[in-house]
Amino acid sequence: MSFPMIPELLGQLLKKPATNPFPAPQLPPTITGYLKAVGEGKATMNPPVPVPPNMRGKMVYNRGTCIGCSLCIKVCPARAIELVPQTKKVRIFVSQCINCGQCTEVCPKNCLNLSDEFLIADTDRYSDKLVLG
Amino acid sequence: MKTLEIKKTAPYTTQIGPAHPALKEPVMFTFELEGERIRKADFAPGKAHRGIEWMGLRRNCVQIVYLAERICGICGITHSLSFCRAIEQVAQIQVSNRAHYIRTIVGELERIHSHLLWAGVAAHELGFDSAFYLAWRVRENVMDLLEYLTGNRVHYAIIQIGGVRRDITPDMVPKIEESLKFFEGVYGKLASIFLDDTTIQMRCRDCGVLTPEEALKLCPVGPTARASGVRKDVRVDHPYAAYADLELQPVTPDQLTGEIRGDVYDRIIVRLLEVKQSIGIIRQCLAQMPDGPILAVPKMALLLAQLKKAEGEAVGRHEAPRGEVMHYVRMGKQESPVAWKVKASSYSNYMSWVPMLEGEQVADIPIIVASIDPCISCTDRVTIVGDQGAQVWTKEELHRLSVEKTRQLQLG
Amino acid sequence: MNIGNLIMVVVGTGAMALFGIVAGLFYMGIDRVLVARMQARIGPPLRQPFIDMAKLMTKQNIVPANAIPWLFNAAPLVALASSISIMLYIPLGSFAPIFRGYGDLILIVYLLVIPALAMVVGGLASGSPYATIGAQREMVTMISYELPLATTIIAFAWKYAQLGLDNPFSLATVAATPIWSQVGPLGFVGCLLLLVTMILVTPGELGKIPFDTPEAETELAGGLLVEYSGRNLALFYLSLGVKAIVLTAVVVALFFPYNLSSYLAMSALPARLVDGAFFLVKIFVIMFFSVSLIRIAMARFRITQVVDVYWKYLGALSLVGLILVMVDSFIR
Repeated sequence: MSFPMIPELLGQLLKKPATNPFPAPQLPPTITGYLKAVGEGKATMNPPVPVPPNMRGKMVYNRGTCIGCSLCIKVCPARAIELVPQTKKVRIFVSQCINCGQCTEVCPKNCLNLSDEFLIADTDRYSDKLVLG
Repeated sequence: MKTLEIKKTAPYTTQIGPAHPALKEPVMFTFELEGERIRKADFAPGKAHRGIEWMGLRRNCVQIVYLAERICGICGITHSLSFCRAIEQVAQIQVSNRAHYIRTIVGELERIHSHLLWAGVAAHELGFDSAFYLAWRVRENVMDLLEYLTGNRVHYAIIQIGGVRRDITPDMVPKIEESLKFFEGVYGKLASIFLDDTTIQMRCRDCGVLTPEEALKLCPVGPTARASGVRKDVRVDHPYAAYADLELQPVTPDQLTGEIRGDVYDRIIVRLLEVKQSIGIIRQCLAQMPDGPILAVPKMALLLAQLKKAEGEAVGRHEAPRGEVMHYVRMGKQESPVAWKVKASSYSNYMSWVPMLEGEQVADIPIIVASIDPCISCTDRVTIVGDQGAQVWTKEELHRLSVEKTRQLQLG
Repeated sequence: MNIGNLIMVVVGTGAMALFGIVAGLFYMGIDRVLVARMQARIGPPLRQPFIDMAKLMTKQNIVPANAIPWLFNAAPLVALASSISIMLYIPLGSFAPIFRGYGDLILIVYLLVIPALAMVVGGLASGSPYATIGAQREMVTMISYELPLATTIIAFAWKYAQLGLDNPFSLATVAATPIWSQVGPLGFVGCLLLLVTMILVTPGELGKIPFDTPEAETELAGGLLVEYSGRNLALFYLSLGVKAIVLTAVVVALFFPYNLSSYLAMSALPARLVDGAFFLVKIFVIMFFSVSLIRIAMARFRITQVVDVYWKYLGALSLVGLILVMVDSFIR
């Protein structure tokens, strides 16, 4: 009989848990209330695990330099980008974006970029935060 | 198709699925039971059909690469690589050697991550949650490494038609090396927990046996076939990417125990040994990696134009963690492919469930079903809506239908 | 029995029920926290079982259409009531059992069957194929662990009958004369084997991994309890919690009846409190080794393997223990 898990388990009892307690060590009574308090600076958030450089996060759109060539629309696999004909600029729906970064590579004016922001959840998929341009 | 009738007298038939804790994805099993013993087993896939091929035929090839990546939630390289290999053959795009090596490294990292994920799921099916947490904790490390190399944890978006999108620069190598050391260190612990534990041996030895004869007859692929002693590995049999330059042999359980039984335990052995093998392959790749460009056609507009002119058909294959994946693509001088057929590895492995399950106990259903590492959503290419007028297609009828379909494709 | 005694019994029973439920939930919380830590997780707060209970009590109580309602609803009540009634026969620390003089070891063995039987009845009455398979498995498990359990109890009963004490089967007698002081080296080894047997019977009685085949989450989706919800499920959980306390208390009473107060020379009230605290610590230690550690260090057995383990291996182990204890008394 051999139970190699037992020494491993007993050893782990003395070590720290592997979980990163993000955003708070204990579940706050209300999440929205807690996030509000964090926003107002009344509570501190336990930081998430740091992301590596060049992680593909939320899109950043520099509307000023966009020339409306619609190359990005052509390569977007998720069809998350649409052209607004009146302004000749694009509009990006972040809730639909799959963060592949193909558009950032194809853009001739470098007006599309990926940031390292990944906390993009929202209750409204068309909120101002999630529709760029 | 149901071939087993639901009866209210012994021997009882009972259904497991489509939604059941034993199944991580929807598939429906019908069992004829005699007490705890399974007399007959039958299954009906098609509960997670997503129409991916249909979506692909409405997109251009650059878009399909990312769509293909999302066929499977675990292996992000598998489908995009197979698809790209098919397209590259059709459009005659030459991939640089460096890109081949990077594809190999990321592919092998993905194998480590997928096998660790499987080990965790298998442990959970056995009720051994601590091993599940341990395996997945180790897996976090490889996912962090993949995120570091490619930018994403799961859908890496690194494969592109004609090469890869991100290079492995010399300053990234120490971090890869560090991770490989970590895996080598933790490998012994994992192997001891999964192979030496008495309860795992009791549950997995001589359970869900697939004999070599049945394995040859039913044509499973990947670890399922290799655990039954069928030395079948696309990386060795039809080398692609950088595999032709590397030292590797198909992994079979007799390399560790000296015998082949073809049971669940052998499948654990094969997957664990493959984790070790993958570490070795990555080491070899890092040592031999040549210099050169990483993308054959860096300008996307140019690539799209070139693909629009391409005509012909090709098959792209890749040894995924679960076995061979095959993509058939036919291009006809238009933006989107004329035909795109995906054969996920689990499609070949499904049929081996039946001989594995019959004669075993109810308690073994979860681990046997999990032992082929089924990827059910990847496999579902067809679904039947409503049961009215359902009919069983015979082999002849199916053959006639496929001939018709091929003719249709050839005529365009 | 006069009125005073009757009131004592009623109040005592209420107190015991309260103690059993609160302690059961508390130890469930400890178990969950420790298990989480051993698996490198943070885990729930200690009071999580209480929160779960409060929530379950407010949830809708669903009775499946093809269940037998009165049986389905009665089973959890019977399970909890019988678990609590065993509490009345077990000494806690230096508190003597409420029904001292009325019941003995043999009665406890019989009473231990009732909660399991109630679960079987509940499972069969719920009209789900998973629950039916679960109920069948629970019956088989019950039959399996009875053999080593009964052998252990027989060893104790035989030994104390041999000593010529009055009321030899009563737990109070066992508590007053610890087994370890009555046996020689051979008997000591025998008693150790019996202790190992009892520690491994406990997870079977409580339906914990590796003996949780009747519930088997990944196979039977919860098995016996698959159709239970709301108040009924809460009652089953409570009865499991109380049963955990009962079983560990039996192990403590049989093998570790020592109290701290007799060594510390204390006055009556502090002595009782210290003994009570020491008793809780003893329960915690037994619970940690026989439930928490085992349930996360192993894979689940098949039902055939449960029978094998209990009948062949643990049956043999306890028989060897019994024989050693007997041989030991003859050669002394």
